[in-house]
Amino acid sequence: MSGQGLTGLSSWSRRLVAIGVLAWCLISVFPLYWVVVTAFKTPPGVVGGPTYIPFVDFTPTLQPFIDLYQGIRGEFFRTFLNSTIVGMSAAAIATAIGAMAAYALVRFEFRVRFGAGLIFFLLALGGYLLFNNSLGFTRAQALLLAFPIALAAAILANRLPLPGPILGNEDILFWFVSQRMFPPIVTAFALYLLYSEIGRLGFQLIDSYVGLTLCYVAFSLPIVVWLMRDFFEAIPIEVEEAAMVDNVPSWRIFLSIVVPMSMNGLLATFMITLAFVWNEFLFALFLTNSRWQTLPILVAGQNSQRGDEWWAISAAALVAIIPMMIMAALLSRMMRSGLLLGAIK
Amino acid sequence: MMRNDPIKHVFIWPAVLVVLAISIFPLIYSFTTSFLSYRLIPPIPPRVVWLGNYVSLLQEPRFWNAIFTTTLIAFIAVGVQYAIGFGVALALNARVPGERLFRVALLLPMLLAPVAVALVARMIFNPTMGPLNQFLSMFGLANLPFLTNGRWALACIIAVEIWQWTPFIILMMLAGLQTLPEDVYEAAELENASAWQQFWGITFPMMLPISAAVVFIRLIESYKIMDTVFVMTGGGPGVDTETLTLFAYQEGFKKFNLGYTSALSFLFLIAITIIGVTYLALLRPHLEKRR
Repeated sequence: MSGQGLTGLSSWSRRLVAIGVLAWCLISVFPLYWVVVTAFKTPPGVVGGPTYIPFVDFTPTLQPFIDLYQGIRGEFFRTFLNSTIVGMSAAAIATAIGAMAAYALVRFEFRVRFGAGLIFFLLALGGYLLFNNSLGFTRAQALLLAFPIALAAAILANRLPLPGPILGNEDILFWFVSQRMFPPIVTAFALYLLYSEIGRLGFQLIDSYVGLTLCYVAFSLPIVVWLMRDFFEAIPIEVEEAAMVDNVPSWRIFLSIVVPMSMNGLLATFMITLAFVWNEFLFALFLTNSRWQTLPILVAGQNSQRGDEWWAISAAALVAIIPMMIMAALLSRMMRSGLLLGAIK
Repeated sequence: MMRNDPIKHVFIWPAVLVVLAISIFPLIYSFTTSFLSYRLIPPIPPRVVWLGNYVSLLQEPRFWNAIFTTTLIAFIAVGVQYAIGFGVALALNARVPGERLFRVALLLPMLLAPVAVALVARMIFNPTMGPLNQFLSMFGLANLPFLTNGRWALACIIAVEIWQWTPFIILMMLAGLQTLPEDVYEAAELENASAWQQFWGITFPMMLPISAAVVFIRLIESYKIMDTVFVMTGGGPGVDTETLTLFAYQEGFKKFNLGYTSALSFLFLIAITIIGVTYLALLRPHLEKRR
């Protein structure tokens, strides 16, 4: 694509456009430069007013980072590890099961009766109220009981010739993606209460690896399904058809043909999901308190704990930012090869 | 071609189960709780108040203030993001010199943790020691109350939102621009259409579906804004910059007023749905005309 755009403009206005883009770039980069520089400042270098160029304006020091590593300002090392472990596993699980679902939605036909969905919702709601109010179960127990019953009833009901519309693959996809529209506060707060009630049954989910990862997997799935569907649709079906003629089972077609062919897409999806989980604040705020605290929570806490100790704040922010900077560099490489084109159709 | 093979259930059920469990559970839970008067501190046994929570919320000025603030932030921020984002995408698409260098720089902000970005913003907006103050002092505007005056604070939050999320629009619009067919422009070129005419006659209408989708995503996401405000102002001064999510957090996690918070989050959900449906309804005639 090149014929369009600036060819019609004079060289003078071309220059103006270039200056505009350059200005936006500077605005984009300046705060990052500022935080990097500030992280190497000594306390006098901060209080004396803004300074910009190391060695000229001020003498850089590594002290803020040494403080961080020694845990003077919170357990950065362990929190970094937490963020990495939770982020990596949530992104890997979400990409894996999300890709499977996306593949199923592209290649297989699904029919869900609207009535069955309604039955699921009504039975889950009614069962919960019944178990909780009339039969004296706790709220968590009631939910855990109502869920499988409603699910089983809905699966059975789906085979009956119920009246009402039949939903196809597009509708299932829409259901997945629409989960992203929900304000996360609706989920986060209720999930916190649910987790703490399940905790009372003896299975700790709050401030635990399982609880946090599970929540992030669910939270990332809509994006994964949405992105991966486009990648899978772009794969020519002939290859798969050839394999089917040879009676290769579907799961082997998926694992040994489809997955290798969409490796780039899987990798990009994994990285985007990782970025989402890494930066996520609200769920971590509700669902963790000490052991499995993630970086955003610790970084946000720096603010109130230490008023204007900018060198420390900057170093803390950098710890959260740098891994994503590396990822931006990797992603922009993929972007250049036209990888993200499919994502917006 | 669609296949039909029982194995499809193995493929789709893990994802469906996880999403069902994590999203439907809390939904039912908070839906039922929203009709109760239920506090954890002090512990009072739950009592059914039906729509009582909703009524008292709708009469609460702080709730309307939060809705207004959130709407203001979302609409202004997304509007400016779209204008800048589309502009930069057009320029990049037309091969501005040095565009390769720009790409990483342009992609960066949206991948960074909003919490960290907000901390950096606090430093930059510092009224005495910040670089922005130094810059504005050159024009005689020293010591502006960036984060301590309600309006200034709101403007600063909007500025940070724009800084962080314009890259998303650039990215999406750029991808969209690259799919436009070239022959239309060649024809326009032959008829001596100016660059300005080409933009309004061809580029803008053809980009309308993508624009609609991108703006929709950003609008919905902007309504959820919380981390940036939490760190930059904490909702203050007073409640001048309190957004819906922050309001719900204060009520729920600080006061443990469960019924009230659940009702609040449902009103939030309803508001988002209304905005989404209105947006799509307003745009539909324009989108269908083009097909």
